[in-house]
Amino acid sequence: MSYCVHCGVELDDTAAVCPLCATPVHDPKTPRDTVSPTPYPTRSSTVELPGKGELGLLVTVILCAVAAVCGVLNVFLKPGRLWSLYVIGALLTVWFWLILPIFLPKLHRAVKVLLDGAAVALYLFLISVDLSGRTWYVGLALPIVLAETAIVLAVALWLPRHSILTSITVLIGGVAASCLCIELFVDRFLTGRWQPLWSLVVTAACAAIMAVLIVVRRVPGLRAWARRQFHL
Amino acid sequence: MAKKKAQPETWYPMDNAGVLYAAISGDDYSPVYRISAVLDKAVDAAALQRALEKNIPRFPTFHVRLRKGAFWYYFVPDDRPGPFVQEDVCNFCQPMDPCGEATRLLRVCRYENRVSIECFHALSDGGGAMVFFKTLLACYFRELGEDIPDGDGILDVTEPPRSGETEDAYRRYAGGRAAPRTWKQTAYHPTGTPEPFYTLNVTQGLLSVAQVKQVAKANGGSITEYLSAALIWTLMELQRREGRKERPVSLAIPIDLRRFFPTETVRNFILTARPCIDPRLGDYTFPEVMEQVRYQLRLELSRPLMKGSITGNVNFQKNPILKAVPCVLKDPVMKLSYRLAAIRPFSMTYTNPGIFKAPAPMARHIQRVEAVLGQPYGDTVNCASVSCGDALSISFASNLKERDVEREFFRFLVREGLHVTVLSNRSDPS
Ligand SMILES: [Zn+2]
Repeated sequence: MSYCVHCGVELDDTAAVCPLCATPVHDPKTPRDTVSPTPYPTRSSTVELPGKGELGLLVTVILCAVAAVCGVLNVFLKPGRLWSLYVIGALLTVWFWLILPIFLPKLHRAVKVLLDGAAVALYLFLISVDLSGRTWYVGLALPIVLAETAIVLAVALWLPRHSILTSITVLIGGVAASCLCIELFVDRFLTGRWQPLWSLVVTAACAAIMAVLIVVRRVPGLRAWARRQFHL
Repeated sequence: MAKKKAQPETWYPMDNAGVLYAAISGDDYSPVYRISAVLDKAVDAAALQRALEKNIPRFPTFHVRLRKGAFWYYFVPDDRPGPFVQEDVCNFCQPMDPCGEATRLLRVCRYENRVSIECFHALSDGGGAMVFFKTLLACYFRELGEDIPDGDGILDVTEPPRSGETEDAYRRYAGGRAAPRTWKQTAYHPTGTPEPFYTLNVTQGLLSVAQVKQVAKANGGSITEYLSAALIWTLMELQRREGRKERPVSLAIPIDLRRFFPTETVRNFILTARPCIDPRLGDYTFPEVMEQVRYQLRLELSRPLMKGSITGNVNFQKNPILKAVPCVLKDPVMKLSYRLAAIRPFSMTYTNPGIFKAPAPMARHIQRVEAVLGQPYGDTVNCASVSCGDALSISFASNLKERDVEREFFRFLVREGLHVTVLSNRSDPS
């Protein structure tokens, strides 16, 4: 019969540590009982998850069927245009965005962002195939998708480890960076030169808000005030 | 030769609480609880199985399967053989896929001296499961040659089930005016680092009923009132230490309605009481918390108020518009309203299915009875206590790595001068 020196509760003779505070049981006179059965079984059982796999499979089958029907219809209806690519691309994007997480709930955030970006790039590519828009795809769409994916990836990797104030600052920074990128690529594609205009306005506004947030974050008195005001 | 009459297909509509439990169970949550008895000798699995086979026909509502209709869930009798006694595991109260083909909504387990039943909450509440369990134990001891009389909550297994036992007591007592629903404030929720699915960390404290009763009496209340106050006090201390924005601390305490509305039913018949202390209103001392909890609990146990609540809940089930909404749409709404009305305003669930009374020839073989609430909804902890003879067991079930609530609660009881023995299924961090 031993007691936890911190909690003052009696412990089972088979216990190696106190279940409440994890302090090891150390009694030089009576060694721990390793023969008697423990109060609870030690064998654990795995849980078979009833899972949403069925739902995911059902939706996948439906999406596949719709895609196949559209593909076949395309052969007969307006065969000159590859209009079914729009539908197939949209279905593919929906699948990557919404259905894949059902099958792989533990997929890392970064991988998910990359896959989602790839799905959007693929969709735009399919559209460019129909419109014979290789130039705008390579010159405009692809760079924007890549840049935005990189920004979302950076924000997604940064967010969960920081306080709410830092997170908001980073999010606003992400918005500013996105706008700058979009205008950069649009300008480069249209005129060949970067003449930032509207994105600078957005960036200036974002920078002002970020500056305030950073100051609030750094000065303890202000931080406490913000927490009180906004119930953070 | 008489032609055999085609048997009408029997089915049971769900009771009011059952509807909710069926709707909220999913792949992240299963409302499964456990009642165990620790005997004086190792459990004889074969005798327990024989006892179970004698016991099950007396309790048809415990041998059922859940079916999902287009608009409501319902039970059909389970025609499979069994249930069968299983060897216990350390992460018990395992989730159930309620409508699954292989699922059994009732499990019977044994480990060393411990017999346990695990029950899907839509089948019955703690009070009903206690009758089933007591009758099962009586059958078990009879198998071992003891002479156990019926009574004290033990039903006669040679009799056919009575209709009162399978009735929906909510519907029987609903009627008249429905109590208006009040919006309750969001409560403080103790939380921490979640364990991987599906880990159940159980920490159990064993105390002497006489000792606790004495301390409770010195504080001017019953054991349930005292333990509720101690839990609220612990949660208030934890919240203060966290230093966050303060919220009210409240408990969800299921009240067994059989005490107030006579019925034989072994299905669900509970309502929830909500003792609540708002620390923003001032610094309470423990005697003040105790006093508040005592008054609030007694205030909520008023018959007209409870009848009004029952009526309100049953009206919800009878609502023709809701009846016409398919399950697929209704389930997410029920889940959301459960979160808003049954999780958000409560810091923790604390249930006390009462005193386990047994006839003397049976009681002398039972060291203690335990109740475990099973998986909490969300990453938190819940608590259940039950007493048998002089043994009071208080069990916390959590899916958190931290043990703050358990530790502070039992340390509080120790400081109050109570002797506590602590057991746990947590594996040693070695
Ligand atoms: Zn300890």
